[in-house]
Amino acid sequence: MPRLIIDNQKIEVPEGTKVIDAAEQLGIMIPRFCYHSALGAVGACRLCAVKFLEGPVQGIEMSCMTDARDDMVVSTDDPEARAFRRFIIECLMMNHPHDCPVCDEGGHCLLQDETVSGGHDIRRYKGKKRTFRDQYIGPFVQHEMNRCIHCYLCVRFYQEFTGYRDLAAYQIGYRVYYGRFEPGQLESPFSGNLIDICPTGVFTDKPARYRGRRWNMERSPSVCIHCSLGCNTVANARYREMLRQEARLSESVNGHFICDRGRFGFGYANLPDRPRRAEIGKNEASWTEAVRALANRLTISDGASEMKKTAVLGSARSSLETQAALAILAGSAGWPMPAYFADPHQSSVCRTVVRRLDEGLAVSMKEIERADWILAVGADPINEAPMLALAMRQAVRNGGKAGVIDPRPVFLPFDFTHLPIPREQMEFCLNHLIHSGIARQEADDAGEAVAGFYAQLPEEAEFEEAVREGISTLAEGLKQSEHPVLICGTDIVPLSTPDLAADHAHLLNRIKNTCGLFYILPGADAFGAAMLEASAESAFEDLLKAIEDGEITALMVVENDLIGAYPNRKRLETALDRLELLIVLDYLSTPTVDRADFFLPTTTVFETGSCFINQEGRLQYAEQVHAVGAPIRQLRGRSHPPREHRDEVPGGDPRPAWRAVADLVRALDLDEIRLYTSGPESWLTGSKGPFRFFQEKIYPPREGRILPAESEVAPFKSSIKKEAKKPEAGTLDILFVDRTFGAEALSALSEPIRRAEPAAAAFIHPKDASELGLSDGDSAILRFEEGDLEIPVALNNDMARGLLVIPRKPDLEWQTAGARFPRIARNRIAGVRKETE
Amino acid sequence: MARLTIEDLKKIKEENLAEFNSPELKHLLICGGTGCHATGSIAVKDALVQELKDRGLDDKMKVVETGCNGFCAMGPILVVHPDGTFYQKLTTEAVKKVVEEDLIGGKTVEKFLYKDPSTKKKIAHQDDIPFFSYQMPRTLRNKGLIDPESIDDYIARDGYQGAYKALIQMTPEQIIQEMKASGMRGRGGAGFPTGLKWDFASKSPGSVKYVLCNADEGDPGAFMDRSILEADPHAVLEGMIIAAKAINANQGYIYARTEYPLAIKRLEIAIQKAKERGLLGENIFDSGMNFEIDIYQGAGAFVCGEETALMRSIEGKRGMPRPRPPFPAHAGLWEKPTILNNVETLANVPQIMVNGGAWYASVGTESSKGTKVFAISGDVNNIGLVEVPMGTPLRDLIFATGGGIPGKKKFKAVQLGGPSGGCVPEEHLDTLVDYEEIAKVGAIMGSGGVIVMDESTCMVDMARFFMDFIQEESCGKCTPCREGTKRLLETLEKICDGHGEPRDLEILEELSATIKEASLCGLGQTAPNPVLSTLRYFKDEYIAHIYDKECPAKTCAALLRFEVDMDKCTGCGACFRACPADAVIWKKKEKAVIDKEKCVQCLTCFEKCKFDALL
Repeated sequence: MPRLIIDNQKIEVPEGTKVIDAAEQLGIMIPRFCYHSALGAVGACRLCAVKFLEGPVQGIEMSCMTDARDDMVVSTDDPEARAFRRFIIECLMMNHPHDCPVCDEGGHCLLQDETVSGGHDIRRYKGKKRTFRDQYIGPFVQHEMNRCIHCYLCVRFYQEFTGYRDLAAYQIGYRVYYGRFEPGQLESPFSGNLIDICPTGVFTDKPARYRGRRWNMERSPSVCIHCSLGCNTVANARYREMLRQEARLSESVNGHFICDRGRFGFGYANLPDRPRRAEIGKNEASWTEAVRALANRLTISDGASEMKKTAVLGSARSSLETQAALAILAGSAGWPMPAYFADPHQSSVCRTVVRRLDEGLAVSMKEIERADWILAVGADPINEAPMLALAMRQAVRNGGKAGVIDPRPVFLPFDFTHLPIPREQMEFCLNHLIHSGIARQEADDAGEAVAGFYAQLPEEAEFEEAVREGISTLAEGLKQSEHPVLICGTDIVPLSTPDLAADHAHLLNRIKNTCGLFYILPGADAFGAAMLEASAESAFEDLLKAIEDGEITALMVVENDLIGAYPNRKRLETALDRLELLIVLDYLSTPTVDRADFFLPTTTVFETGSCFINQEGRLQYAEQVHAVGAPIRQLRGRSHPPREHRDEVPGGDPRPAWRAVADLVRALDLDEIRLYTSGPESWLTGSKGPFRFFQEKIYPPREGRILPAESEVAPFKSSIKKEAKKPEAGTLDILFVDRTFGAEALSALSEPIRRAEPAAAAFIHPKDASELGLSDGDSAILRFEEGDLEIPVALNNDMARGLLVIPRKPDLEWQTAGARFPRIARNRIAGVRKETE
Repeated sequence: MARLTIEDLKKIKEENLAEFNSPELKHLLICGGTGCHATGSIAVKDALVQELKDRGLDDKMKVVETGCNGFCAMGPILVVHPDGTFYQKLTTEAVKKVVEEDLIGGKTVEKFLYKDPSTKKKIAHQDDIPFFSYQMPRTLRNKGLIDPESIDDYIARDGYQGAYKALIQMTPEQIIQEMKASGMRGRGGAGFPTGLKWDFASKSPGSVKYVLCNADEGDPGAFMDRSILEADPHAVLEGMIIAAKAINANQGYIYARTEYPLAIKRLEIAIQKAKERGLLGENIFDSGMNFEIDIYQGAGAFVCGEETALMRSIEGKRGMPRPRPPFPAHAGLWEKPTILNNVETLANVPQIMVNGGAWYASVGTESSKGTKVFAISGDVNNIGLVEVPMGTPLRDLIFATGGGIPGKKKFKAVQLGGPSGGCVPEEHLDTLVDYEEIAKVGAIMGSGGVIVMDESTCMVDMARFFMDFIQEESCGKCTPCREGTKRLLETLEKICDGHGEPRDLEILEELSATIKEASLCGLGQTAPNPVLSTLRYFKDEYIAHIYDKECPAKTCAALLRFEVDMDKCTGCGACFRACPADAVIWKKKEKAVIDKEKCVQCLTCFEKCKFDALL
């Protein structure tokens, strides 16, 4: 541990720490442009020069390139070092356009800060400035090359860190140009980080362009809710309108970066058609009127004791507070316990996940970066949880091996082995692969339970050549591995797979002493939802059955687009028709909202502080960003300040969904006054709350994993099949899947995301396509019993045979298929030739 | 073909030499270097072959296309072996005459012989021409003598003996010891001791190591490496094989620039033939050692001659340097221990193995041993490639080997080391060719580019030229080099354009000092050298440009009046005849006048006037 002195302060740092980081630990921020702790040092900008007064290094040196060593005496503000840095700034400012007044970076621009703090004020250079042509690089990022100071961070991030190649440095010398070969949308779904990482205004936030300086913004730490990873963000709002989202450093979740879906997906919160008034029937009402009327409708007789039996459906995107409040409401009203997943498949797999995940197995994304062998089963990271792909990439960059067992065409920005196995054979493939990568002796040495489980695994498997090679490559990697991680998706896997993945993780854990298990879940708070469903053993299928049987005549749907989410449109419609009362609470305008008999508008994550539990069981808190109310820009005449003076905020009716529940509890006069007499700390926490882990009465709660040390489920109970299930001939499997852009319900409503999303297309293997007489770009008409679904096909070699992969886009009526995993006979697929000119 | 053994090597040598020295068979050595190709040596060679065939002499005379002879300004060149006659500036028509009069008649053809510029006498024998007689060919010992595309020719000149010795009889430690004893320092310019470099790489842990050859010769006016590759490619391959043994590497790369198609072609042939003979590939000489060499073509960026940038380029990345340490001997190509040696360095290695380090160190100075190849160009009579012992005074290099300055013009300075180097003025011409001595006078040994400048060269303009080159070639990674060199260039341009201000001198000095200190790699750290050395020796020219708005060398057009000095003009009309724009008004026996309306300021008249009559 080297000890050194920086600016007269002693510090001891771990071996290999750079001087620039050692200084930062002392609170001394040495100026820098090209250094980034996630990307490392390259010594390009020369701004971090400091003077080494004594010790093994002498004179002016770059602090980012110099390892801290014993006996170093460093001065960061030596006159010589200052002069050096001033020279660098002067060089960089020679060509900078000084367009700060019209530059969106102004106010949080590192170049501004370093120029002022570096003491560069008088311009000595009288020559012409260098100019470049800017490019269109997509709907997310604005390009303005003249401001560039050539620190190379953008290209290093884009190419090295994210693994995409379409943004590059072109030319040499003082003409170096960072851009694309030709204008066009950036391919990387992490491109928005260029905005954060660029030290000046070359890459700025396009949707937020000219909308405000940093000091104009209301800024709060928030959590992304566009997938289950729970990446940390800083949300920026102005005039009650969400404008920007920035990445927030989280050592264990997302590191320094976030994906574009998370960054630009907030548009749903600002939509002009967002419902902001309560409705009774289709008539607008005040919040209080609506709650009172609703309470009356729910009460059969005048006495509050007898109530209409109501089914409650929460959601995986709601906050933990709302989910918990629903459970309290249902419990105290004597209703069936709420369900949270409209989709029975999600409900089932997520419950398995929360039962199986424990502290012994769970890993964070940071830990995935350190893994040396990663196997994902039934997961398509770039589409289901984009930042996971980036974490896996870092593992591969560090020498790790990665593989994916998944029937879909999986793309990842690094070298990995894809085993495009049909859905029903994935488990068999996994079992066989693990068997191949572990020696019998190792399993025998790990105890009886492990040996017994191992003995069931299939030794032989009949796969085609390419798959066999892939399996042996991955098995070989597993043999060498010391830190393996299993990733298990939940969207398309068979119901038993999460259990099986946990068993394999246990197996590897016992043999290798460490093995991580990482699930991907459907929704920002799917974990909390699944915990509640699991503890109450509730499920929407049961509720639906009760509705169909006429046992239940009222349904309360909270922040869930039931109609969009339920996989069988016809059955759902029939059931909804039987209802006497449909109550919907939401902050979006959805088909479910349109059908509501009662509607209460709720707030978004930006308008209420709320807790979420991500897929690794990590509880995080998103702070409120701005007050509830319609964005000022959307008020009539767009005038500000308002000319009409009223005593309420325009569009300010929405309340947190849990507050609506509390108001209802009060109106129904139920025995849960804690819901409305105090804040979430009183009813979310403590032993009486629905969540055991809220033992301390602290709100907002302490962030961290809430998993049990050890799962109550004993491992190795999965049933192992000795042979692979053969696919049915004459039919095609259909998978409805998530996409990076355009399939996730919230972000799909965001304008920039809509611009970035590719046209809907069904992936199909070229051999299947040719059997069906389809070419790339042709449309396929799928003739289901309940109606037709037409979609263009895209041929892809890298996927399983006998399969159609269709994005679950909101505007695509995929629920017509009538099932979550439908099959369709080949003769029920018709082709429509692509129109050619 | 079968794997060669030492006996085979000896046999090939005997047979080949017997043929070469046979009185029955004359060898007609036609230079086939890039310079001579450009002047038409291929056509001359074809004409010669045809002529011999027509006359039925093709069994008595063998035409050999050799690599670069070195005397590039005189091409196309023919040397008759064993007579030693040197014919220059041949044409296809001249071939007939040479065949008839000399090869049949036995009488040298005066017209195509070399004429000494100082004595005005014709010289028939190559060895008597001063350009050749002052040289000590070691690196270039095979130039002009062997067919570079024939491996047998190379073997006949002791080729692959050094590799055999190193692979079979020596340990890696002994090879490194011999290299250290030779005192060989890197000929790429920096002069790092080669033996020491190999020693580091050899001791560096790792099972995968690489041997790289730097053939990315980029200095303007330098063509040493190209000529060596064109004339003697096997020497470089053999050097790499020996280096591979020394550090235990199995893979080598030659990083050559695409602009050297002939060198690359000959290297490819050489590698192919060496493979066929088992001199590359598996189990070379049954020693158990495997070694492959591949060529990687660079796209022409100057900075890719810098070792770390070169390695990034081979990796397929953008050719940009990275700071050292770690040094390539520890983490080089693909982060594996790597040695990178210049072409000239490697070409010397086989002989050091054959003759011993002490033999190599027997010439030279205290700190610089052996010989050095220079590419002499500019305002000098004998333009070409020469090899002289270390310790030769610069004056001898330029005036004896180089033949002095053409015309009656005076020597002004010599630029050593290309754009990274500096200029040496008359008063320091007695400096010896020695890494430290040259550095003392503000220049560097560099890779061997020698650009001689006479009095008509403007030193400010010269600095501007090199700065233009450097700022074009800066990779753009670090701020001082990227922005600073551009700024230096702009300041120099301003001075040359007559807009110089007194403070510009301070700016040049301050900027140069900071770029030197602050830049990341050697390119930036040495970029201001041409400015600093011209400021050191020719500050008066800067002052003349800035204060007097005059260019003493009459090169900077913006500072010239384009008028005729009536006192000096003799009315010779040379300017009138040379002017491409008909801007000179002149009648016989009258003085010339320049029509400024028509003048395009091309400076042709300034060059033609022998009386310094243009202002």
